[in-house]
Amino acid sequence: MNWRRVLRNVFGPIVSLAAVIGIWQAIIVWGHVASYIAPRPLVALQAITSNWSILWPLTSWTIKETVYGLVAGAVIGVVFGVIMAKVPLLARTVYPVLIMSQAIPIVALALPLVLILGFSLMPKVVIVAWIVFFPVTVNLLDGLNNVDKDLLTLARVLGASRLKTFFVIEVPGAITPLFSGLKIGATYAVTGAIIAELAASSGSSLAEYQRAQAGQLNAAGVYGTTILMTAIGISWFLLMLGAEYMATPWRRRSVARRGWRSGKQKVQ
Amino acid sequence: MASAGALDLRGVSKQFGETVALAPTDLSIEPGTFVSIVGPSGCGKSTLFNVIAGLLTPDRGNVLVGDTDVTGATGHVGYMLQKDLLVPWRTVLGNITLGARLTRRVTASDKAQATEFATKYGLGDFLDHYPGSLSGGMRQRVALMRTLALNQPLLLLDEPFGALDAQTRFDMQQWLLQVWRDSQRTVLFITHDVDEAVFLSDRVLVMSPRPGRVVDDLTINLPRPRTLETLTSPEFTALKATILRQLHAERVQ
Repeated sequence: MNWRRVLRNVFGPIVSLAAVIGIWQAIIVWGHVASYIAPRPLVALQAITSNWSILWPLTSWTIKETVYGLVAGAVIGVVFGVIMAKVPLLARTVYPVLIMSQAIPIVALALPLVLILGFSLMPKVVIVAWIVFFPVTVNLLDGLNNVDKDLLTLARVLGASRLKTFFVIEVPGAITPLFSGLKIGATYAVTGAIIAELAASSGSSLAEYQRAQAGQLNAAGVYGTTILMTAIGISWFLLMLGAEYMATPWRRRSVARRGWRSGKQKVQ
Repeated sequence: MASAGALDLRGVSKQFGETVALAPTDLSIEPGTFVSIVGPSGCGKSTLFNVIAGLLTPDRGNVLVGDTDVTGATGHVGYMLQKDLLVPWRTVLGNITLGARLTRRVTASDKAQATEFATKYGLGDFLDHYPGSLSGGMRQRVALMRTLALNQPLLLLDEPFGALDAQTRFDMQQWLLQVWRDSQRTVLFITHDVDEAVFLSDRVLVMSPRPGRVVDDLTINLPRPRTLETLTSPEFTALKATILRQLHAERVQ
């Protein structure tokens, strides 16, 4: 492991996070902001830790919504992307519908979904998937359509089948744009989940907890919940970043690791 | 494999709309020979290549490789372009065996052969490298190894060294001749560079546009192995002059 590189990659985010917290603190202290309007950073954090026994079940619920939604959205996004890349006629037909799907305000989508699916986990998962699939489809479609044409020609000359060409050339060639889509989707997943929790309220959720805190003029509780929601979103983004890192070793090293992947000992 | 690399074109022609890309062409190439094609843009050399590779089906005529009629069929030639077309996500070894991966399963013997080729021709230390870390010349070597790895007796090389600087290019030409001599393949080589054509080949075909056709067929009898001295010998200069005159004459017409 290259510690200098790790340090360089970790240093930037730490500095910017510290800056955000510092500015926040400065505004509250020097601006003489009343504690019922906005809390200091530490107070907001304390609002999380001291209420953890209440917050954790709600948080785990939101995590569940986003995970299921992310997985479903990614799968649907990939299926749409592949089909549209392979059947251009279908792409022209389906694309306008997909764009329409994203033009619907999420809140306006949530209410009909409640009518259909009730107040269970389902409408939340559907909404998260609804938000996630679109950037995945658009990016994957672009990626698949931009694979080097000469490379496809080469595969044809060598006598490769379309299926082999797809899996050996096109899929790995589109992996970077695919992850771009996934990273965008992962970041928006929480937004979708929280809106869904508000619209399809099931009695206990992070969104409703936050609303209740606001009703009690508990600014620390409101801010604390926001931090918690943000942390979930950032976690999924980082997870995608990590997956991308693992999936694309050639972007960060010049020599492949010998081992389980390329297999076998050196053939002499 | 004695006659496997023989190439026979019988009355092959191709037209795109009103444009005759390739006038009826007969061509016979002995197995194991190195044949270059020179000619200006639009002279039909790419059409000829694509017809032989099976990317295009000719309007008339037949393409025979060895004794097999392969008109309009793919999967029977090695093929290499000016762009090395290495995939960044596979190592040098993975790129050399890419043809096998695309057409069947990669076996241990594929890997062994690829390793043997690579080691023999100066890529042994780079087997586990990703292409991103290689120079242009190295990348073209890997691309040529990949072209060889499928063991096709006929190789089509379309300006493979066109993007390299002069020094690297000369090294690569020498290297290609060594690989060709060892591997006994038939090579069909497109180039814009008359020096390169004469230096490498047993035979040079001169093509001309409107309609695309072969206008001259020269045998290059320069002794092998060819070296730096070959490039300055009077015979070399004479052959080069003949071809340049031919190309120029076609242009003025």
